[in-house]
Amino acid sequence: MQLPKFAYHLPEKLEDALEIMQVTEGEARYIAGGTDLLVQMKRGLAQPATLIGLTSVAGMSGITTSSDTYIGSMTRLREVERTHHIRHAFPSLVDAIGVLATPQIRSMATIGGNLCNASPCADCAPPLLVMEARLTVVGSRGRKEIASEDFFHGPGQTCMGKDEILVGIRVSEPPLNTGAAFEKTGRLAKDITIVSAAALVTMNGDVCQKCRIAVGSVAPVPLRLVEVEKLMEGERVCSELLDQAATLVKEVVSPISDLRSTSDYRRHMSGVLVGSAIQRAIARAEEA
Amino acid sequence: MMKRAVSLNVNGEKVKLEVEPRETLLDVLRERLHLTGAKEGCGTGDCGACTVLVDDVPVLSCLTLAVECDGKAIITIEGLAKDGQLHPLQQAFIEKGALQCGFCTPGMILSSYSLLQHNPSPSRQEVSEAIAGNLCRCTGYVKIVDAVMAAARQAVSPVTLGAEMENARQATTIRNQSSQPTVRSTDRRAEGGCSHDGVDQRRE
Repeated sequence: MQLPKFAYHLPEKLEDALEIMQVTEGEARYIAGGTDLLVQMKRGLAQPATLIGLTSVAGMSGITTSSDTYIGSMTRLREVERTHHIRHAFPSLVDAIGVLATPQIRSMATIGGNLCNASPCADCAPPLLVMEARLTVVGSRGRKEIASEDFFHGPGQTCMGKDEILVGIRVSEPPLNTGAAFEKTGRLAKDITIVSAAALVTMNGDVCQKCRIAVGSVAPVPLRLVEVEKLMEGERVCSELLDQAATLVKEVVSPISDLRSTSDYRRHMSGVLVGSAIQRAIARAEEA
Repeated sequence: MMKRAVSLNVNGEKVKLEVEPRETLLDVLRERLHLTGAKEGCGTGDCGACTVLVDDVPVLSCLTLAVECDGKAIITIEGLAKDGQLHPLQQAFIEKGALQCGFCTPGMILSSYSLLQHNPSPSRQEVSEAIAGNLCRCTGYVKIVDAVMAAARQAVSPVTLGAEMENARQATTIRNQSSQPTVRSTDRRAEGGCSHDGVDQRRE
């Protein structure tokens, strides 16, 4: 299976990448790990005349920790998954990457690419949504920080302009008594997600002080469920509350039927997975 | 389209060549260097038959642009045997009957090789996870896992111990003493067809 012809640039500076995109008047595509874009090109679903490789751009790869943790967008999922601090502080992200595709794909694909592809089922999205990650985007008009919940606009669509590049992801350290977890269902764990859910809770005894919920594959974008968060916050967690949360989840999601699943099954499983994600998040909050 | 010069280290040998942007690493290995061990199964990153190591990490050569490999060290299945001696993994695949048509075998062995470099005494579950991105359509996975486990046992014994594996083993021993395990359950398929005995340990 051959790739179509294209011109290729491998800039070493961010400004050069932006400039090449301007010169090509948006006819080019940025390429990160390539595990989605090259497949689309082989299948004839994408035909960019020019690719701008971001692998050599300085400063876009790697993880730094000071008051916040900053993950360069070109960091490979394998590195994110294996970084001790990430494993310790952000286990829900590690849950998600651990079941994202195959070891080889995780060696190649980048965390930024997973987000910029803007698939409703992107496995990195729900954990980053519940952690309220901020995304740093750079374009010809400068640098800005975007809340992760404002990033996704639709299947394959983000809030970024054609020239803009996602350069990094910033997440704050979780406060005390906080836990987070990610759940997914697929035909096999490594397969494309049918439904996913992430939860983050801050507990005060058995009362849920703060709650963040996000789901994947049940709406046009990976989605925060603010209604469910409000239901949980300030309440003592018991099985009745979790049942109510699951019922509410099923009301607010809008899944479709496709070759992987029916909308009924997705709707049902979104409630189930949110429930188990909350329970695992609470268990982790108690360990923390 | 304009060609670019790349220099690769392939199985320990330096290679310089000019590649078109559209050429994948798999194209270069098979068509230019005539290293036909890496196979094209699906061409879209699903089957793992094209797996090679780039800077010691298993990647899919069918989705890797050759222009992005400048300066990298590539190991293919052809690079494992030394001085006419099969690598312990290759020998174990033969002895355990871990292949029939052989199409997936180079990828299986390279994924396993990478695992043993980092974790010379893996559990069966860890082997299953390491080969989760390599599909086999004939032998089934049980014998493949048997072979990797046998090679690991053999490599850990001092007689056949390769220096690289010994170094990796010592490094892992130190790491394991100070941190939690780094690999988790992802895939139950590798223990064979419909087996449910490893069902979703993630949720436990």
